[in-house]
Amino acid sequence: MSDTLASPVKKPTVDDIINSRRQNRAAKGAFYTLLLIMVVWSIKVTIIEDTDWERIGSLGKVIAAANRFIGIDFSLFPSLIGPTLETLMIACLGTLVGVILCIPAAWFGAHNITPYKPITYPLARLMMTLSRSIHEIVWALFFVAAVGLGALAGVMALAVRSIGFIAKMSAEAIEDIDPGPVDAIRAAGGNDFQVMIYAILPQVLPQVLSVIIFEWDINIRRSAILGMVGAGGLGLVFFRQMNTFNYHGVTSVIIAILLLILLGEVLSYFARKAVI
Amino acid sequence: MAILEVRDLRARYSAGGPEILKGISFRVEADDFFAVIGPSGAGKSTLIRCINRLVEPSGGEILFYDREVTTLPGRQLRLLRRDIGMIFQEFNLIDRMSVMDNVLSGRLGYTGNLRSLFRAFPRDDIQRALDLLDRVGLMDHVDKRADELSGGQRQRVGIARALMQNPKLLLVDEPTSALDPKISREVMALIKQMATEFKVPCLCNIHDVQLAMEFCNKIIGLQDGNKMFDGPTGKMDQAMLDEIYAMEVL
Repeated sequence: MSDTLASPVKKPTVDDIINSRRQNRAAKGAFYTLLLIMVVWSIKVTIIEDTDWERIGSLGKVIAAANRFIGIDFSLFPSLIGPTLETLMIACLGTLVGVILCIPAAWFGAHNITPYKPITYPLARLMMTLSRSIHEIVWALFFVAAVGLGALAGVMALAVRSIGFIAKMSAEAIEDIDPGPVDAIRAAGGNDFQVMIYAILPQVLPQVLSVIIFEWDINIRRSAILGMVGAGGLGLVFFRQMNTFNYHGVTSVIIAILLLILLGEVLSYFARKAVI
Repeated sequence: MAILEVRDLRARYSAGGPEILKGISFRVEADDFFAVIGPSGAGKSTLIRCINRLVEPSGGEILFYDREVTTLPGRQLRLLRRDIGMIFQEFNLIDRMSVMDNVLSGRLGYTGNLRSLFRAFPRDDIQRALDLLDRVGLMDHVDKRADELSGGQRQRVGIARALMQNPKLLLVDEPTSALDPKISREVMALIKQMATEFKVPCLCNIHDVQLAMEFCNKIIGLQDGNKMFDGPTGKMDQAMLDEIYAMEVL
């Protein structure tokens, strides 16, 4: 051991230090210059060239347009109760179906328990990546095309979109378990199923439940907008108000969405506390 | 008759890797309490784990009641494991389950999937678990979660779980190295007492030579995957110990 400590190390001189700092500064300067160029270029392409400046008009017109949204259409609220509940149900059912879909995904996707690694592991990872890399609106469009307009398409879109996160986190929790209890159940003659429910599940359950609650929380937000593409819930009402130029109605829907999300926030806070 | 006969046992963890066990042979008789001693890295744990194939041997034979263990397919292997109890260094309890459920998990080899899913163990099993918990002195802790217990208590749960199987052989892997000296002695005494009472032969890895000499009637000395000594405890002397532990760097 002591031999490696005694190996000769070149002593740095003052010039070495000054030179290395000069190089450092040059590299940093180049990096920030590049960053600045990219920001300016992005502004030019997306904002300056891509905006219809004629249509915006004067500052006064912009403020007047935004002002149309100030005010609440109270007459709309009674008819919002149904869609709000529907949004909540889509979120709950979507999460539940997603959890069921996650069972095979997490099982196949954890490299320590995957049944046949060369096939099942990549399959599960593909499922997770596909689920996460496609936006929920795109999933909803897909399922609206497949099963038609309505809440079912929303439920399916959320279920599929939920696999990515829940299964990935669950698979990682499974990969991190203490293998000791697995040995103990095996040594007692337990089969794979018994190993799963006695040695693995109890170890990962708190983590998995907390991930599910988190995903449910997010799914409430997602389900509030799914209606825009016809997949049920508040989003549909939102879209209708927008189309009929009832801007106060739009604000009412936004308030309903806000209240729903606050409710989800409170519920998931208590649910998470109960799990941990 | 030999309960367990091991012939020329070899093990390596990867195909081209170093051999951890280099041809070990020994016999365990009905009333034996075997200690396996040797410096760390000698292959003690690997040897024990090969017997119930938690580690797959790469060569040799293991005869348990004259039955070849090394070639048994999945289901047969599980049936065989029911007859071999195991006690672990780190206890390997299921922390979030009760002491009772942990002890009952020793019966999983005899329990169907549906029953194990709902933890619906038969009456007789629960009675037996209670009796064993009484014997190991944990009657006051039956409903506690396993992670609420102290180290010594946790190992007692481990002992009860192994005995739950009604084993014909006990494999004991460093039962005391996670415990302090006083508790270590108590735990060894308990294992010895239970083994005698239930007439189960034991094969016990132990790095503490003192405990080995005190509790075991036979000793296997391992060094770097080779068997250096195999005989009654009385024949082990300081010269032999020095040789077995010669390679240990302290």
